[in-house]
Order: sequence, then structure tokens, then C-alpha cells
Amino acid sequence: MSIPRRASTTQSPFSTFWSVPATRALVALVFVLLLGCVFNANGAFFKIGTHRDALRQASVFGILACGMTVVIISGGIDLAVGSVLALVAVAFSLMSIHGGWSPFIAIPGALLLGAICGGVSGTVTAWFGIQPFIATLAMMVFARGLAKTISGGTKVSTIIQSADGQYRQAEVPGIFRFIDSSVLQTRNAAGHATGNLAVVTIIFLVCAGLVWIVLARHYWGRQVYAIGGNEEAARLSGVSVRVTKIIAYAVSGLLAAVAGICQAAQEQQGDPEAGIGYELTAIAIVVIGGTTLAGGRGGLGLTLLGTLTIGYLEKILSINAVPEASRLMLTGAIIIIAVLAQKRRKL
Amino acid sequence: MQRSYLFILCSLASCALFLGCSKNDPSAAPTEKKAKSTFKVGMSQCNLGEPWRVEMNAQIKAAAEKHPNLQMVFKDAQNDTLKQRSHVEEFVSAGVDLLIISPKEAQPLTEPVAKAMDAGIPVIVLDRRLLGDKYTCFIGADNTKIGRAAGQWIVKKLNGKGKVVELKGLMTSIPGQDRDRGFREGIAGSNLEITFDADMKWLEPNARQEMESALSRCPKIDCVYAHNDPGAHGAYLAAKQAGREKEMIFVGIDALPQEGVAYVKEGILDATFQYPTGGAEAIDIALKILNGEKAPKEITLGSRLFDKETIDQGGKELQ
Repeated sequence: MSIPRRASTTQSPFSTFWSVPATRALVALVFVLLLGCVFNANGAFFKIGTHRDALRQASVFGILACGMTVVIISGGIDLAVGSVLALVAVAFSLMSIHGGWSPFIAIPGALLLGAICGGVSGTVTAWFGIQPFIATLAMMVFARGLAKTISGGTKVSTIIQSADGQYRQAEVPGIFRFIDSSVLQTRNAAGHATGNLAVVTIIFLVCAGLVWIVLARHYWGRQVYAIGGNEEAARLSGVSVRVTKIIAYAVSGLLAAVAGICQAAQEQQGDPEAGIGYELTAIAIVVIGGTTLAGGRGGLGLTLLGTLTIGYLEKILSINAVPEASRLMLTGAIIIIAVLAQKRRKL
Repeated sequence: MQRSYLFILCSLASCALFLGCSKNDPSAAPTEKKAKSTFKVGMSQCNLGEPWRVEMNAQIKAAAEKHPNLQMVFKDAQNDTLKQRSHVEEFVSAGVDLLIISPKEAQPLTEPVAKAMDAGIPVIVLDRRLLGDKYTCFIGADNTKIGRAAGQWIVKKLNGKGKVVELKGLMTSIPGQDRDRGFREGIAGSNLEITFDADMKWLEPNARQEMESALSRCPKIDCVYAHNDPGAHGAYLAAKQAGREKEMIFVGIDALPQEGVAYVKEGILDATFQYPTGGAEAIDIALKILNGEKAPKEITLGSRLFDKETIDQGGKELQ
């Protein structure tokens, strides 16, 4: 996973413990959870449904953050994920709702679209030496435009306008209902069965698991760390820097596509305006976890902790009905606290 | 070498794109002196990201197409005040015969519009107001009134008592504040109680999240009042997932044909209140002004209620 760093030559048990980035990421999460226990909104925080919802809401951001982790470890950044999410959400809705295509075609098609977007920004960065910030910024603007073009500027929903101007109602596709459902059902007092784990959360965990295996256990993952640590050294030791980078951005695009499919399913529509600003949340999650923006250090496990921190923070603010203005200030403050905890102090 | 090829390729591609675009853009075509029987009308829209504004443009376009002597030019400022300002200036220098503007905000756009008036171009202002009175006609609806009507409808529907969740639009925006104030006036004096309110920023995913919090917090909810239809729809999805959608009624605002009205038809929402775009009215007034008739300084649009009883008759006019 992450590459532990030596804290100091004379190590006390605490400083050894504190030198592991995961410990510090955990501190931020525990802090947020304690906030939740204190401000529990008349016990709402202790209900299982609250946790299911918190995890479900964090899942889309978590999936984006998984891809972002790969790109950031490689020393880059991907600003296009929010737009790619919208593009894929629109394309997936067009294929599934309007086209009535089978999910076995629509899902691979949507994933391919995302991977191509990522691959293009990767190619522009790796092959032509354009800074990742600029290359992915261009993709962010382009993909947003493409999403608005193919959707005709409006939401692609189950209410479809026919040629004669009348509106007809299409069925919500089964795949949408499946992704938006939840498993591990229990019955409440009224006899209504509700699931306790959302399918999107499972999708997030599967994505996180796969990315973790690739980053921590596969030689390609080691190459990503090598490039992020020292690109020149990696090149000299025979790493194909360009190809590895392109794949890293393609992975990010692919995961943005997964997030886009989840977003479309949860909204029951493809909104070309979806995902605005999501890239910043994804970056915040990665950084709060403890992966450094400079590249070469960090890991997927940290991103998982970061996702939970941000996800629970949002939920706690929401169940307490904190006004929007205070929410923004509190979120800013907690991001700083979490990042300060990441900053290694000499102890 | 490779890079220079790419550069040339990119430049060619972007040239092609621009050429392709300019064909569809009538404002780029060379302007010929026309007989006075045709009028060029500029429409400056502040933002086409919202379905409601897409609908406004669509209504204007549909109404204008019935009059072959009107030539419409649409510009979208993409929610950028300064871009909209330069659009107004472009319309003035292009010498349009009339300007319709739905301004993003009052202060920075008042002066550019005043300059258009000075240049002898009549201006119709849609939806949001400008400062002062240097315009020809203002057409807009009253959000406070619509909020009040929604409040009164809910009071009647729930027989005067119950617990309400209010999902607000952006509370730093005037429509959000007005829809909130009107609603609170509408339910004043009844035993309706707002148990949970949150700012969902007009966005459906946010509305769903806030509703989930409301559901885990409040054991009983009788009504969800959302400041727009997508918000009410998001709340419905949250309640449905929790198996509690039958317990409460859902009320939204805007009543776009593809959103609120369709949701009421499906039985997702119990009612929606139309917030009219004024697009068709703008073209009527534009024709009056262009034909030299006197136009009223201000038109307040009425609203329509769409609920289960009135949906098939195309809604009920609100007093």
C-alpha cells in the first residue's frame, strides 16, 4: 500500500505509530465520527439507515477518488472526472432509457467512453508533454460541451419529447433500479423491507479493491509509484513512462465512467450539469487520506479513509440541518485540520 | 516534428469547428439592409444550464416562428455577468430592432441596457429585474405569491395540521428567498409545522441527500415542499427507498411539461405550481412595440396549479 517513511533515528513507540500515514488519516475519521456521536440529531446518527445513506452518498465521490489516487500517485492530476461523469451519465441514459439497449451493451459502451476520455487526456499529457493540469482542464471543458451536445442541453430523463411535441413516459430501466437498490434487507415495524447496504457502495468497494490490488500488488502499480517519485529515474530503469501514464489517466476515466453510471441510476436521468465541482471533492478526499499531490507516495487504503471522512462529515452536517453558509465554513476548517494531521511533525 | 504536425492538425480542426458553428449563427452572417417589414430581435439569456431557461428560449422560438417577419438571434451568457454585458453591447452594435434580456443580475446589467435604450433599441426584461426604470417592459412572475399559494394549498390538503419538510432552493438567490417567505406566509395561522428545512441548491441529488437526513431524523412527515420540481422528485426517490412515500404528499414548483407536470401525471408529485417563463408573452409585447403600439411598463404573469384534479384540463389558473 503506502510506503512508510522513517520518522526519526530515535523512535519512540508513539512516533513510529504516528509515522504511518494511515494512522493519521484514521485520526481525522475518528474525529469526524466523534462529532457525529456528539451532534447525533436526536439519535438519528445511530440509526443504520443513516450510515447506509452516508456510504451511498460518499460512493460516487469515492469511485472518482480511486481513479484520482492513481493519477496523483503518478505525479499528475485529473480535473476532467466531473465532466466525464456527466458525459457518461448522459450517454448511458440515452442508451438505456431512450435507446432501450441492453445493459450488456450500454455498460461496456459507457465504460469505454470514459476510458477513451481519460486515455485522450493521458496521451496529450504523456506524448506531447502538456502539463496534466492543462490537458485535463481542456478535457473537462470539452467533455462538458460534448455532454450538453448529445443531450440537447436538457436532462435525459424518462419523460421523452416525441417529434410532435407531446411527452411520453418511458420505463425506468431495470439496470437503473438495480444499481439504486440495496441489499441485506431487514423489515421495519410497518413490514416494509429496506436494504442496509446500497449497491453503489458495493460497486465503490469493488472498484477500490481492484485499484488497491493493481497499485499495491501488481508491477504496473509499482511503475506508477516509480514515475511519481522520480520520472527520470523510472525512465532510466526501463519503465515505459508514456504508456504507464496513459493507462493511469485511462483508469481514472474508466472509474469516472463507473461513477457516471451510478449517478445516472440514482438520479434516474442523465443530467449534463451533473458532477460540477466533483473533481475538487475527489482531490480533497485523496489529500485528506494522506496521498501527497507531489506524487510517488500514498495509497488506496488512505483514499478509502478519506472517502469515509468526507462522506460522514457531509452526512453529519446534513442530519443536523446546518445552514449552507456554516456548512461550507465547517467543511473548509475540517479539511485543513485533516491535512494538518497529515503533515508530519517531529515528535 | 510530431508536435508541429499535431499543432497544425489541431488548428485545422478548430478552424473547421468555428466555420461549422458560424454557419448556424445568424449574427455572424453579413447583415444586409432589410426592408422595414422584417425585424431583427436579440435574445440574451443569462444561462442555459437550467431546464426552465431552456424552456423559456424554446417558447420564445416557437412564438417567433409564427411571425415570419421576426428574425431571432439567441445568445447564452453561461451564467457569466460580464459575458452577458458584452452580448448586450454586441446586439446594440449589430443594430437589432429590439432586445429581450433575461438578466443574470441587476446592478452590472442596468447600465448596458440603458445604453441600448439610448441607442433607440426597445428592451423587454424577462424574469429578473434591473435597477431603475430604463427599459420598455418588464415581464415576470411573483415567487412570493406562488409560494403563498403552495402554502395555502398544503394547509387545505392536510386539513390545517401536520409536519412539513421544506427543501429550499439556493437561499442566497431571490427566488429561493421569495418561495420560502411566501410559503411561510401561506401556512401562517395553521397548525402546520416545518420540522426540517435544508438548502438543496435547486439540485436533485442534494435534495435526495437532505431528504434522507430528514427521514432518519423525523419519525413522521406529512408533506414535502420543495422549491423546484427536481427537488421534490429527489425527495420522492429518497422516501420511496425508505418505503415511506405513501406517508406524505410531495409539492413542487415550476411545472415544466417534461418535469413537474409529467411527475404529477405519473403520481409522483401531488401538486406543482407553474412558474411561467413569459416567453410567449415577450414575443406578443415585442410585436406590439415593433408595430408602434403602446406596451405596458410591467406585466405580472399568473401561475397555474397542476394537481390530480386539474392535470387533465391543463392546470387551474390561480387567482
